[in-house]
Amino acid sequence: MPQPLSSKENSLFRQVIRNYEEKQYKRGLKAAEQILKKNPKHGDTLAMKALIINSLGKTDEAFALAKEALTADMKSHICWHVYGLLYRHQKNFEEAIKAYKFALKLEPGSPQIQRDLAYLQAQMRDFQGYIQSRTAMLQSKSQLRQNWTALAVAHHLAGDLAQAEKVLTTYEESLKSPPSNTDYENSEALLYKNSIIAEAGDYQRALDHLESIAKHNLDRLAVLELRAEYLAKLGKKDEAAKAYRALLARNSEHPEYYSKLTEVMGLDGSDTSARKAIYDEYAESNPRSDAAKRLPLDFLTGNDFREAAKLYLTLMLDKGVPSTFANLKHLYTDPFKKETLESLAHDYVEAKKSQSGDESLAEGELKGTPAGLYYLAQHYNYHLSRDLTKSLEFVDKGLELVPKNVEFHMTQARIWKHYGNTRKAAEIMDHARNLDLRDRYINTKTAKYQLRNNETAKALKTMSLFTRNDSTGGPLSDLIDMQSIWYLTEDGEASVRNGLIGLALKRFHAVYNIFDVWQEDQFDFHSFSLRKGQIRAYVDTIRWEDKLREHPFYTRAALGAIAAYLGIHDSKLVMNGVNGSTNGTANDEAEKKKALKKAKKEAQKAEREATEQAAKQDPNKPKAATSDNVKKDDDPLGLKLASTEQPLVEATKFLLPILQFSPKNIDGQVAGFEVYIRREKYLLALHCLNSAVAIDAASPVVHEQAVRFHQEMSAKLASLPAKVTEVIKTEFTAIDASTDLKKYNPEFLERHKDSAAHVVSAIKIRKLLGEDQKACEKALFDVLSLNTDDWEPAAEALGLLFQWRSSEAEAFRKAADETWPEVTLFKPPPTPPTTS
Amino acid sequence: MDIRRLEPRDIPLIQHANLENLPENYFMKYYLYHALSWPQLSYVAVDVSRPKKTPYDYPKIVGYVLAKMEEEPADGVQHGHITSLSVMRTHRRLGIAEKLMRQSQLAMVETFGAQYVSLHVRVSNKAAIHLYTKTLGFDQDKTEASYYADGEDAFSMRLDLSIIRDQIRDATDSEDIDEGEPVGEAGSKTLPVREKDLKKVKVGRGLGVQALVEKDESKHS
Repeated sequence: MPQPLSSKENSLFRQVIRNYEEKQYKRGLKAAEQILKKNPKHGDTLAMKALIINSLGKTDEAFALAKEALTADMKSHICWHVYGLLYRHQKNFEEAIKAYKFALKLEPGSPQIQRDLAYLQAQMRDFQGYIQSRTAMLQSKSQLRQNWTALAVAHHLAGDLAQAEKVLTTYEESLKSPPSNTDYENSEALLYKNSIIAEAGDYQRALDHLESIAKHNLDRLAVLELRAEYLAKLGKKDEAAKAYRALLARNSEHPEYYSKLTEVMGLDGSDTSARKAIYDEYAESNPRSDAAKRLPLDFLTGNDFREAAKLYLTLMLDKGVPSTFANLKHLYTDPFKKETLESLAHDYVEAKKSQSGDESLAEGELKGTPAGLYYLAQHYNYHLSRDLTKSLEFVDKGLELVPKNVEFHMTQARIWKHYGNTRKAAEIMDHARNLDLRDRYINTKTAKYQLRNNETAKALKTMSLFTRNDSTGGPLSDLIDMQSIWYLTEDGEASVRNGLIGLALKRFHAVYNIFDVWQEDQFDFHSFSLRKGQIRAYVDTIRWEDKLREHPFYTRAALGAIAAYLGIHDSKLVMNGVNGSTNGTANDEAEKKKALKKAKKEAQKAEREATEQAAKQDPNKPKAATSDNVKKDDDPLGLKLASTEQPLVEATKFLLPILQFSPKNIDGQVAGFEVYIRREKYLLALHCLNSAVAIDAASPVVHEQAVRFHQEMSAKLASLPAKVTEVIKTEFTAIDASTDLKKYNPEFLERHKDSAAHVVSAIKIRKLLGEDQKACEKALFDVLSLNTDDWEPAAEALGLLFQWRSSEAEAFRKAADETWPEVTLFKPPPTPPTTS
Repeated sequence: MDIRRLEPRDIPLIQHANLENLPENYFMKYYLYHALSWPQLSYVAVDVSRPKKTPYDYPKIVGYVLAKMEEEPADGVQHGHITSLSVMRTHRRLGIAEKLMRQSQLAMVETFGAQYVSLHVRVSNKAAIHLYTKTLGFDQDKTEASYYADGEDAFSMRLDLSIIRDQIRDATDSEDIDEGEPVGEAGSKTLPVREKDLKKVKVGRGLGVQALVEKDESKHS
């Protein structure tokens, strides 16, 4: 029941609301106290006070007060609304929706509550609820077009295309006079309706509708594209061809227009000369078009290819286009094209040699001869045509001509990266950076290479040359604010390699949080977009946000976090002696202490530096200090994260989005198996295993996991519930239940004896199956004699030896160093730095 | 290379390209704000030759133009503004920046009736200044002192779009004689520059969107 207030207090209460809305929290609080002095149990005032306290950052207190308010006045919509807002603030959207619904039941006409509920329903994808809310909002204000469009969007997102169209039509028919030609909202609403008709698959009707609205539509490009698409789908080839030509006239750099044009002209078959003629036509009318000249290289073959490639290559190299190789490398999957391009590039350089005086050389530009050399350097650096020695030679030749050229240095650094020499790669990239200090691109590359070389402090310093460093959090806080995912991920991965697991988790969590922010970011647009009238872009965004964490940015950071948590879990097991491993406990304990000490030292150093930074700060710029008081990170090194008692639960949190959105990513399935087998969730582990088998049955990791699953089931199957046993028996088909693993594993090895990665896997399994460790260690040395450029399996083998605390590790490292003398990883470990 | 309109799903890699290339950076919501307010105006250049590493790879963005309409034009004239433009160092000399700009400018006129387009550029950025003035025909309007966060001055530039407007008019005239005003009245209407006539529309205020616009302005594009 509303609790009555005196008229003076009533006006005070209105002031509280106003103060809150205008963010004058202190005043609002004072006024609320005034009311509460006389009416200590006034629910609405208590609720408003809670809301203000919450805005001041005291969430717990706010919740307690809001509950008190509800106890005082269960029937107040304000109390329930506030309760919902607090939950909303906490991002507990389910509870917020419940509270809003209570509030709305008590005050059905409140537009404010209705709006808050509707946006939350859209955010939570409760489309049935959203339809209800939007229907109510339409009923209360049916003169507003956006309310009609919003209801249509609700039906559309809920999957009811017919109803969505009907709502839009109803509004259109209610219009007495046609909207002006420049009414953007109208123009977009009509196109939105058109897209719904097409989405239902009725292209003829979509085309007819489009023709009826095309004339004055303000989105010309969309009209032209949709028309072309519908005509093509309807088989109206001549008209479709005309439509695609209209599009090419606007933009001759969109490959899809060409392919669609040639398709509707029936030229996508074997008659490549007719097809090429179309491209030639556009190359002629658009002399600066790249696509028209380059795209025919995709389908031309034999001598036609050679001729066209020669023309293109000559043109690009004469002009000095640095991306020439990048634009052609996709052709390298065709061996003929790969070889042709190689010989053409050689011819080009030779031909230039015989010409007298290359005028471009004087300018130090990447034109002519240097461009040809640059192409060849990249050619021999590419994995499908790799010969790193040759690649380096071409870089050297290029640098003789243009010694200060950044691109050649960048390529040189990449070559060393491919050799595995991360140290040299980082040094050369840094040298390249010094040649063009104003360019952030080369700066970014340098920082990335430094991170690959595990030089995290140096990398941050490099980054700081372009970040805003005026907050006490320094460059790192700017990188987090600006959502620099690549940096956070690389820094996390480098921290893993440096043994700083807490710091690594800190970075991976930062990426995780950015994705949370990105999901939250759409919230404001549920209302904003309707007011802007940009409906198609909004619907696109909603659909993209639905699978936001499909992005490889997410997967990579999440895989890093999962691996780190698995490591934490496993080392705990070892320490507790659970898996009976006897030889590691003391060492692990010591190592952990060492790591902790190292981390603490870093913490102190970071703190010291932060203080120094703060001291150095220009006193005329006080801004940073205040804003940083608000959010002080109480775990800057992630020590709390690393000391979690539930590493597998944490790992699962990172895992679920990968399994949901990127099920075809084998690394995700592999990680899923590792998490679930440790959690003894055998059906889920099996599901991951089977998915991995479906993606790549020959993968060495899949072999390991299948054997491990087989082994674990032999031991545990009997103790599992009957239903689970049954499912496992029918679903686990990778290895037959009766298989003798000790025979199975050698068979696998025999099949893959030339692949180092498979050999390492088979040896891992030998040890797992109980074979003598010494024998396994010895077998790992075979990896060194496989005569391959790929040193990474050997790096894994070295890691295994360390993990097994093998006395052979050092001997293996030395041997690997001799086999691959450039690989930084196989160099002797640096002597521990004296503490600074 | 593929030059096409920006799609919302491009945004993470646009942001990535921006962070790699330029010192002026923005969080995702600011990109969303552009993509959802003026989806017609922003374009991307995609490296379509890049082999995929996973089935979930997103199109690799090697260049982009992030553009908007001025929401509260101080002069009362509808005009576009280039928030950010960049092309990866590895993909220069293909004319990508120019092509992106031309597509954006066309859409500014067609969809929003822009009279001109404005932008800021660092006074030291010779390559960009060359592109704007020599290739695209921008005029140097004025210098804004200490415009950038690091204290550098900016040239404020603008390009009159009436040529595009005339071209559209000619094209549509020849196609359909009734269609004389393709750009619409909003486009050709020049508000008299009197303070009280200027509409103060606080778009997105209280929605968080405006807040981020302000945050950006302090950072400067």
